[in-house]
Amino acid sequence: MIPFLTYPLALLALATVPALAAIYILRNRFRRKQVSSLLLWRFQVQSKAGGAKVHRLQLPLIFFLELLTLLLLVIAATGPHWQLPQSQRPLIVVLDDSFSMRATKDGISAQTRAHEFLQKLFRQQPPPNTRLVLAGTEPRSLGSAVKNWREVDALLPQWKCWSPGAAIDSAITLATELGKQQANILVLTDHKPADEKISNPRLEWHAFGSPQDNFAIVNASRTVFGEQDRCLLEVANFSSGSRSTKLLVQTGSNAPQSSLITLGAHENQRLVFNIASSAPSLHAVLEKDSLAEDNEVQLLPPIRKHVRVQVALTNENSSTLVSRTLDATGLRAAISDNPELVIHETDAVTSSNSWSLRWSGEGATNAYTGPFILDNSHPLAAGVALEGIVWAAASATNSPGDVPVILAGNVPLLTVREDVSGRRHLTLNFNPALSTLQNTPDLPIIFWNILQWRIAEMPGLKESNARLGAEVTLKTTDEAVTITQPDGEKKFFPKTGGELALETPVPGIYSVAMGAVTNQFSVNAIAADESDLSANLTSQWGKWSEDTQRRLEEASAIWIFGLLAAALLATHLYLVTKSKGSS
Amino acid sequence: MEPAIRQALRDGEQLGARYALQIPQVAASGIIGSRAGRRAGSSIDFQDYREYQPGDDLRFIDWGIYARTDRLTVKLFREEVTPHLDLILDGSRSMNLADTAKANAVAQLAALLAAAAANAQCSQAIWLSGEGFQRLPNDTLSPAAWDKIDFSSLRTPEQSYEILPPKFRRLGVRVLVSDLLWPGEPLQILRRLREGAAALFVVQLLARDDATPPEHGNLRVVDSETGAETEIYIDSSIAKQYAENLASLQQSWSDACRQCGAQMTTIIAEDLEISLKELESIQLLTPA
Repeated sequence: MIPFLTYPLALLALATVPALAAIYILRNRFRRKQVSSLLLWRFQVQSKAGGAKVHRLQLPLIFFLELLTLLLLVIAATGPHWQLPQSQRPLIVVLDDSFSMRATKDGISAQTRAHEFLQKLFRQQPPPNTRLVLAGTEPRSLGSAVKNWREVDALLPQWKCWSPGAAIDSAITLATELGKQQANILVLTDHKPADEKISNPRLEWHAFGSPQDNFAIVNASRTVFGEQDRCLLEVANFSSGSRSTKLLVQTGSNAPQSSLITLGAHENQRLVFNIASSAPSLHAVLEKDSLAEDNEVQLLPPIRKHVRVQVALTNENSSTLVSRTLDATGLRAAISDNPELVIHETDAVTSSNSWSLRWSGEGATNAYTGPFILDNSHPLAAGVALEGIVWAAASATNSPGDVPVILAGNVPLLTVREDVSGRRHLTLNFNPALSTLQNTPDLPIIFWNILQWRIAEMPGLKESNARLGAEVTLKTTDEAVTITQPDGEKKFFPKTGGELALETPVPGIYSVAMGAVTNQFSVNAIAADESDLSANLTSQWGKWSEDTQRRLEEASAIWIFGLLAAALLATHLYLVTKSKGSS
Repeated sequence: MEPAIRQALRDGEQLGARYALQIPQVAASGIIGSRAGRRAGSSIDFQDYREYQPGDDLRFIDWGIYARTDRLTVKLFREEVTPHLDLILDGSRSMNLADTAKANAVAQLAALLAAAAANAQCSQAIWLSGEGFQRLPNDTLSPAAWDKIDFSSLRTPEQSYEILPPKFRRLGVRVLVSDLLWPGEPLQILRRLREGAAALFVVQLLARDDATPPEHGNLRVVDSETGAETEIYIDSSIAKQYAENLASLQQSWSDACRQCGAQMTTIIAEDLEISLKELESIQLLTPA
């Protein structure tokens, strides 16, 4: 049944049908006419001597032509489609974009073999149109459908195989949606499917990998460790037997240090060592094997940020307590000029970009032993326990706009307010004279949280080393940002305020220029699953069923109904003209 | 009588002044009149001599010839007669078809023929069919004086003839004015009308609606005489069949007329004046 209500045009057209019928009924009603005799009308008189009565149709042929034309136009207005047989289905190719596709055997990578297979397929059985879907950590469609191999080949350079993972199942789902469950799907990868029995008659899974031994660096980090940097390197042996490899570690311009690592089948070894924080970079390289991409890491010095804090407390005891606490965090800068955080007792005027911590509650006599209410989702409350402590505070109520982070009943102990320029103003309702908080780790934790929060809001990179495919966060100012990737590609972000999440599509050193400041971060191809080539193989799963070689494709049939309506109108015109001519 | 009919009578009389009834030779008989008959009579126009037959009027014996030849010879003089027109009008309802000029045309034609007959020194009798054939009152006078012309009969002329036949004068010229639209065998009534007549003319007077099929469309046709109805959709094929039926009817009347020695013509009521040439062509009228 045609859903007329969803086609207002069709509904309107349909309304003309009863109008036409009404016109004809009125026009063709029997006019009474007196004649001299019915003698001459004998041909109309029914024979009474047997035979069936045959009633002549009272409506002329042109009425039915007009009615049919209207109905055809009504149907055309509903936008009818019909299914036409197509000799071949369109093709959607799911390309494994993970870097395991770069593993070579006899000098030829799985990616190259898959590329050659695809080219051969196009030579033998060119599909009517093709779409490419990259299966990286997330599936991504490469442009719109293309018609021939030349256009496909022009898209394939985007298939770089640098992703730390391949979400092939998600890519197949995307391909199914793109193909409206009509297209053939071809998966080109280097490993077998999760379920080797493929029930989808339109899916073919081709793997071009090969099981190979591989050593890989599967973990690497460089973190602040006091005045030094602590480095972690984890080497894994993805081989079926015990093997050895040589690890070369070079820091800065120092001579590389070599060490032999021997590991059993599927064993890992962690190497932890300290290097000087002044060392510009650490370069670790394993011996060459089938997958070169996971043999090398570069670790840049971790980002050390400190907060310039001005302690403007008049109470000497409190000032001493705060200074000691700040020093314990290790996040306080040596200088306090142009402070980024001002700790004060009154509403002192702060510099343009500094946060403030108002120390109130001096002289308060209300001591609270709990229970304390903490907003555990707030960065200031991270790690704060407040168990068995006494917190003396003034019994003030919360000021409008202040968001309480720690409360004792309805008494706010630590609140946060953000002003229009984005600066944050903290209020600590605390009298150390009657409290035991300062004798517990909770006070330095709170101050560490305060400084860490402040650091997190400072412009610049948050980390200097990242895994391939991970996002690197950049806190920006109002200045333009230019990112230079290891492959030389540059990305420009004009006047971005807030945060930028930088993609890391290829491993190497990225350069971030923001205003006059240029920073770097390193991206390393670290993914244990991709480095494990032991399960890779070359085979095929699934087969496009033969019956899918012919399929039905929906095509608009409006033109057919329009053509029929035009033909009927032409016939109508002919009949009318002929009738007038004869009369 | 309707004023329109009376007006038509006047118009017809006026129109008929331009014509005279064309009297066939065989019709030159009748009562003594002012017109020369085809037989010997008592006029002063000498025609012939013939031998005396017993019973001849002794007054017409030519005694001079008897004196010279001793044979009785009578002089024959041309008979002077008054020819006669019997005008037979179809008084059925179909002759007064609604929305047509048929009734007026009948009256006009009758008056015209009467006037033409008068121009030809003919006497006249106007017969109107109905419950039998009746003469119109004052039909011997000028048409303007006629009365009771009423086309309301439910009977066909043939049926009227069965009820009460007209009393035609022998050797008169008889003119039947009708639309001839009734079922039956034309030959039967034509023979009756032709019997004893000097000539019989059949004038089929049709309305234009009778002669031409109606426009296309649905029609509920009603018989003006019987009131019977039938519903028909008129299209080109039906129109063609109608024309064929009419032609067939006319052909049957024409054939019957030919068999009886009658003349037939068809006149369209709405085109009466321009159809008078048809009456001349069948030698019913002649310009006066």
